[in-house]
Amino acid sequence: MRSALLLTALAAASVLLGCGRGEQKAVRAPCPSGEACLEMGVGAEPTSLDPHRSSGTWERQIISDMLVGLTDADAAGEPVPGMATHWTTSADALTWTFFLRDAKWSDGVPVTADDFVAGLRRIVKPELAAEYAALVYPIKNAAPINEGKLPPEQLGVRAIDRRTVEITLEHPAPYLPYLLLHHVAFPVPKHMVDKYGDDDWMKPGNYVANGPYKLVSWSLGDRVVVVKNPLYWEADKLCFTRIHYYPTEDRISGERQVLSGTLDTHTPLVQNRIAYLRREYPQYLRTHQSLSTQYLFFNNTLPMWKDRRVRLALSMAVDRDFMTTKVRGMGEPAAYSFVPPGMPNYTPLPPPEWASWPLEKRQAEARRLLSEAGYGPKKPLKFEFMMRGYDPTGTYAAVQADWKQIGVQAVLNTTETQIAYQNYQIRDYVFGEAGWVADFPDAMNFLYLLDSKTGAHNYGGYNNPAYDALLAQANLEPDVQKRAAILRQAEQLMLDDIPIIPLFTYVTSNVTSPKLSGMVENPGDTHRARYMCKAELKK
Amino acid sequence: MTASTLIPGMRDGSKDMQAVAGRSLWDDARRRLFRNRLAVAGMAVLGLLVLAAAIGPFLVPFAFDEVTKTDVYLRPLQSGHLLGTDYIGRDMLARILVGLRVSLGVGITATIVSLVIGIAYGATAGFIGGRVDEGMMRIVDVLYALPFVFFVIVLMVAFGRNIFLIFLAIGAVEWLTMARIVRGQTISLKQAEFVEAARAAGMSGAGIVFRHIVPNLLGPVAVYVTLTIPQVILLESFLSFIGMGVQEPLTSLGTLISIGANNMELATWLLIWPALFMVVLLMSFNFIGDGLRDAIDPKDR
Repeated sequence: MRSALLLTALAAASVLLGCGRGEQKAVRAPCPSGEACLEMGVGAEPTSLDPHRSSGTWERQIISDMLVGLTDADAAGEPVPGMATHWTTSADALTWTFFLRDAKWSDGVPVTADDFVAGLRRIVKPELAAEYAALVYPIKNAAPINEGKLPPEQLGVRAIDRRTVEITLEHPAPYLPYLLLHHVAFPVPKHMVDKYGDDDWMKPGNYVANGPYKLVSWSLGDRVVVVKNPLYWEADKLCFTRIHYYPTEDRISGERQVLSGTLDTHTPLVQNRIAYLRREYPQYLRTHQSLSTQYLFFNNTLPMWKDRRVRLALSMAVDRDFMTTKVRGMGEPAAYSFVPPGMPNYTPLPPPEWASWPLEKRQAEARRLLSEAGYGPKKPLKFEFMMRGYDPTGTYAAVQADWKQIGVQAVLNTTETQIAYQNYQIRDYVFGEAGWVADFPDAMNFLYLLDSKTGAHNYGGYNNPAYDALLAQANLEPDVQKRAAILRQAEQLMLDDIPIIPLFTYVTSNVTSPKLSGMVENPGDTHRARYMCKAELKK
Repeated sequence: MTASTLIPGMRDGSKDMQAVAGRSLWDDARRRLFRNRLAVAGMAVLGLLVLAAAIGPFLVPFAFDEVTKTDVYLRPLQSGHLLGTDYIGRDMLARILVGLRVSLGVGITATIVSLVIGIAYGATAGFIGGRVDEGMMRIVDVLYALPFVFFVIVLMVAFGRNIFLIFLAIGAVEWLTMARIVRGQTISLKQAEFVEAARAAGMSGAGIVFRHIVPNLLGPVAVYVTLTIPQVILLESFLSFIGMGVQEPLTSLGTLISIGANNMELATWLLIWPALFMVVLLMSFNFIGDGLRDAIDPKDR
């Protein structure tokens, strides 16, 4: 799951321009009378509300309030029965059978096993080019279908009858219930997709939901509006009848709107403000250690990064402790490996030897490595660093200053978030930065990002057959301990290659009105609106 | 320009009529300008600011991009940081001076670009009139409709990211309003008797425009310039904010203020100092503009 933690502040900029040109700021429409509204700042404009064409945490929030998978998340993000009331697993752990509840889409058409089969076939079909398709590769034949080598009908998902779905896996995946609550595994209303096609079924008016809320409107740059779906099986338990999601790209403005009562909750925050919020508004601030890693990456397909010494020098010279303690100031653990601490069934790799050296020694070593690689004062290493939007914390300005100490000139290039991601995916950049939040609590969810078969999400284009082979081997290993050992071996192999520079593990951060209940902080930052309520609305 | 040139419109009232022959109207204007205390104060302050922007960064003991890791969010007057430090330990004074340099550079360059294009274009359209005027002004209308950000993106794609390009881009957009103002003034000026006299004396069109009309435009143009400079400085900070203007570690006053506004609860000095510099800068431009208008355009007095 992509994180919105370092997104741009475009909204503020437009307000700035607005002032300059004497325009009026749009007045926010109030909650219609008789409705109980939840006003939510999600941090960015959705690229799409199609569950198979989105990958941001801000899109997940909206989509998961409208669609429900076989399993669903509870208030703390743990899997609970969703559309399936219960399920069974075969003795070899490869075949899972899910039994659906009697439920309807918001247009009254029953939700059937075919909708789930259609959904999973849709995300892996090559024509859709879903960037998140690799997440469902544990399902039998998903990878070859996505690569166009097999027809979608060969996918290991079938409808036994109208209310029973059977999923066959490539290898045991005990995390399957977590994976199925992710929007990649959501069903699609087959009758609507057949009628309107892959692009138009998710437009307001066509979008039918099987979850607690249904789409009313989506105004670009303004908000997404959803209302209660009366056909949801627990519709009578919903507290809010209407939700407004705002693309609060200006995170400081989002935070101030919550403090002033205009919004009920907003995520994420600017990290260096947490100390201030903790002091002044402790009842509003909610944080949790997350399963995530913020990292920098090389475009490994470029010849200029072929020399490992250059990559090592850049990694060594970054002062992660200064970044986490002083610049960001919320005590995020510095990271030297990719899989974050706290991952179940996994022991994080020890940091490299140089991590404990004093900075001066690391800088001297980095300079030596660079000069060995042919760079020096006469021929400095100079490259463009593409950032996802404006960085108000100064994290990357600090990295840039660290590199200047070893004679490296990184030219920061602030690019609009969506454009930056597109450039990363087509490898049209030199050096980039990204964050990854676990979709399910398993080391594989991080390590698969650098698998050469992963495609779009392997932003750095890392390609190491030995690494791919180890991951494949781990997938086939039923023993948890042995599997962890193979994964650690793979991660060590990859880290020694330095295709990425891990920086730190971040902390989830929401600023939420103390009146809002039902929001439990959790490492995946998963918050379904159906559990939320306000004290004054309780019946 | 000398007093022998026929510009009756520039002539002041009775006291200048008794002035010693040979003193030019520009001398009069300068004298009036220097008699205006606010304008003189504005010029003095602006001079100081320009000097500070030009040589200041060399006098501050810290470089504007120098990160002092022990000095994050330092209050003013601590550890030798006169105005404190920012969120990654960079000296605020050094950053403000560099920001001032960038903002002044953008403001003045872009305004000169807009001035040159706007005056030449507007005066030509207004003076020739008729179909030519119609055509030229429709081009201006079309350019007005071009979204500014889109224009800048196109420029960036075509020529790459470059701070000089930002100056040019802003200037290339700001001249539109200037051209309209100049055209309107030119149309009313070309009916004036001194233009007729020049024409009767056999002067060429271009000669009339540049010797008679343009000098008489300077009043409204001077006022508009004082409005353009702050506008341009603001536009630049907008561009920097959406990532198309100056990039870290370089900065501008607008960028510093927007960062300061984000940090105002944590560190007021990040907002107050750059805002103070911006206010002083804009006020001095305004006073100079007012003074210039009073000095050059006697009708307003």
